[in-house]
Amino acid sequence: MMPSVLSVHDMSITIGSKEILHDINFSVGPGEFVGIIGSNGVGKSSLLRCLRGFLSPTGGHVEIFGERIATMKDKTLACKVAYMQQEVNVTFGFTGLEVVLAGRYPYLKWWQNERQEDQKIARHYMQFTGVEHLAHTPVNCMSGGERQRVLLAKVLAQETPLIFLDEPTASLDLVYQEEIFRYCQLMCQQGKTVLIVAHDLKLAAKFCSRLILLADEGVIADGPPENVITEENLQAAYGLHAAVFMNMVTGNLDIHTYAGATQSSEQQKGTVHIIGGGGAGGSIMRLLYENGYRLTIGVLQPSDTDAHIAEAFGISCILSQPFCGMDASAVQENRTQVIKADWVVLANLCYGKQNIDNLQVAFEAKRLIVIEETTIEERDYSGGQATELYKELCTRSNVEVMTYAQFVQRIEKSCCCI
Amino acid sequence: MNKGRPNHSGVLFVIMSILLLIIILFSISWGQISVPWCDVVSIIGYNLHIPGYEELNLSPEQQAVIWHIRLPRVLVGVLVGAALGVSGAVLQGIFGNSLADPGIIGVSSGATLGAVICIALGLSTTSLFIMPIFALVGSLVAVLLTAFLSMDKGKISVMVLLLSGVAVSMLMGALTSGILTMMNENRLREFLFWMVGGLDYRRWEHVYLAVGPILIGIILLCLLARHLNVLVLGDQEAKSVGASVATLRLLLLLITTITTATAVCVSGTIGFVGLIVPHIMRLMVGPDHRLLLPASALAGGLFLVTCDTLGRMMMPPMEIRVGIMTALVGAPYFLYLLHKVQKAGGRV
Repeated sequence: MMPSVLSVHDMSITIGSKEILHDINFSVGPGEFVGIIGSNGVGKSSLLRCLRGFLSPTGGHVEIFGERIATMKDKTLACKVAYMQQEVNVTFGFTGLEVVLAGRYPYLKWWQNERQEDQKIARHYMQFTGVEHLAHTPVNCMSGGERQRVLLAKVLAQETPLIFLDEPTASLDLVYQEEIFRYCQLMCQQGKTVLIVAHDLKLAAKFCSRLILLADEGVIADGPPENVITEENLQAAYGLHAAVFMNMVTGNLDIHTYAGATQSSEQQKGTVHIIGGGGAGGSIMRLLYENGYRLTIGVLQPSDTDAHIAEAFGISCILSQPFCGMDASAVQENRTQVIKADWVVLANLCYGKQNIDNLQVAFEAKRLIVIEETTIEERDYSGGQATELYKELCTRSNVEVMTYAQFVQRIEKSCCCI
Repeated sequence: MNKGRPNHSGVLFVIMSILLLIIILFSISWGQISVPWCDVVSIIGYNLHIPGYEELNLSPEQQAVIWHIRLPRVLVGVLVGAALGVSGAVLQGIFGNSLADPGIIGVSSGATLGAVICIALGLSTTSLFIMPIFALVGSLVAVLLTAFLSMDKGKISVMVLLLSGVAVSMLMGALTSGILTMMNENRLREFLFWMVGGLDYRRWEHVYLAVGPILIGIILLCLLARHLNVLVLGDQEAKSVGASVATLRLLLLLITTITTATAVCVSGTIGFVGLIVPHIMRLMVGPDHRLLLPASALAGGLFLVTCDTLGRMMMPPMEIRVGIMTALVGAPYFLYLLHKVQKAGGRV
């Protein structure tokens, strides 16, 4: 086992008369980049303050490099841990360099002034966070991003093996948020250990090597981001309906959240099969999923965007082999689902030789809604065969034709059966 | 964007020192009995037994006025001004607010109560040192009370502190008034004189009394200036770099209180010096207290002696007391400051 830099033993925190965290235990090894996440007011910042000794725990204790922090001297502790708070109000126009130099405080005797060496260290870290040119600019004249980077340089100038950051990106633009996380990742690669309280799950999942999810007075998940950011955990911690998936564009974990339908209405809602493909089924899937319908979709090719979306929402999806006609078993399964479903939605598909079966199978539906955004002639690449079938389909009594906008209205108005 | 700090603080210190010297000499030479500058220097040289100044061809009257009346007065002025300037700068730093001054946290009202108790008990005439001690104790009690009232879990919020300061000052004022109503005419007059801060009738004893605590206080505060810099960044920031916030803050408050109280007890209450001087100096040398504190000391002395001299010159032979002069200059500046804050829609 790795030697632990920080370890927390049975720690409880009470604020006012309310115990916000109960019997917390974890330890952090060197080089880890730990994100502390959880909903507002769950005690993330209090936990961090407690770890730094700003707040005394009502139970248990914290050890840093095997030494209890309660017994450590202020300056000794400050040489081990640096702490950056959410917002610092720098009054009186202190300049960037002066603020960064404050990070050298624990290394100076009380009568000493900053030495040449301290100046060099301060400049070095200002260069690292890209604020060297702001050395003589008053901090209260800086933008939010510049200020946070100056404060980060100050924290670094403290040259501690352990760094705590309490929502350092709270008021920053997206670019700066990422930047701060990237600096932290870089620092961890250089052997430092960073604990960050983060409210942006995506960023935390992208950069942190480990996440600790707080909820219900304790740690409900602890581990690598992909194990912590799961639908069940997010539901438990945030009361959030979310779909967690791998974003194909960024290659990172992504989260789609929505106002979830309540459990009871979900049960009343029926099963819907979507005939989609080529990206035409994506928005229909999302709409119905968020409204609590049980969904199936088919037949799709594995590389289809509809297939990725179905995977993200955990919708069962009938796939066929790529670049050839649909195989018989897929078509058969599709037919079964169409028959089983309470109703079927036919998306605004383009038809070619490959997927003409998708149109044929629609005839088996109990009730069918056809989404028509563009005329069938424009979408027919099968040489007229699809147009013929489609027109025939639309004349049937159990078929309704509407645009997607009408469909949205319909779903949102009449929560249940169409 | 880059408003690089004016890098001429050295020059500023030299200019202020020269100005201070000039105003001291001017203040000493000007008056009902006028003495030329060079004679002022020779009188001082003669009394200090500096070689080269063995002979004096001035009347004993002139000598006495210079040596026993004007010189101690100016010296007390410099000391008091310096003490108030530095204390103001430190307090503004501690509370991170450039509207704080020694009066606001109750130092002056506490000292006044101490003084009035001393006068009421008839002890003020027994020794020159009794009243300052009473004033000192009074201001310490007032400041500690203010600090205690606004302390919440080792933290002091600026707003609460200002309000507690107001409350404590009012309480002290009420007690002072209560005692005053029971005092006889003579003592009342003595108090009134003390109350409106002034530098007249200051003797060498006052200088001896004030020089120790004030100089030591200023030196200690200047030595702690770097710690004050860290403290200004806020509680949490200071703690996270390992500063013992509570101890430092109390230490600074204590030294400031003693320094201010010493000033108050030799000159009475003089307002606005501790408010304006640090503010102007901050604009000139920047917020680093290692420069700001010495600069405020120098400028405080300069400001007070200038005000005193002006007060003497305005309508001779009458004198306008220096406490009135500083308020006359200070109040408009204070209002201007408030106006600026309002216009900026934020902090000073």
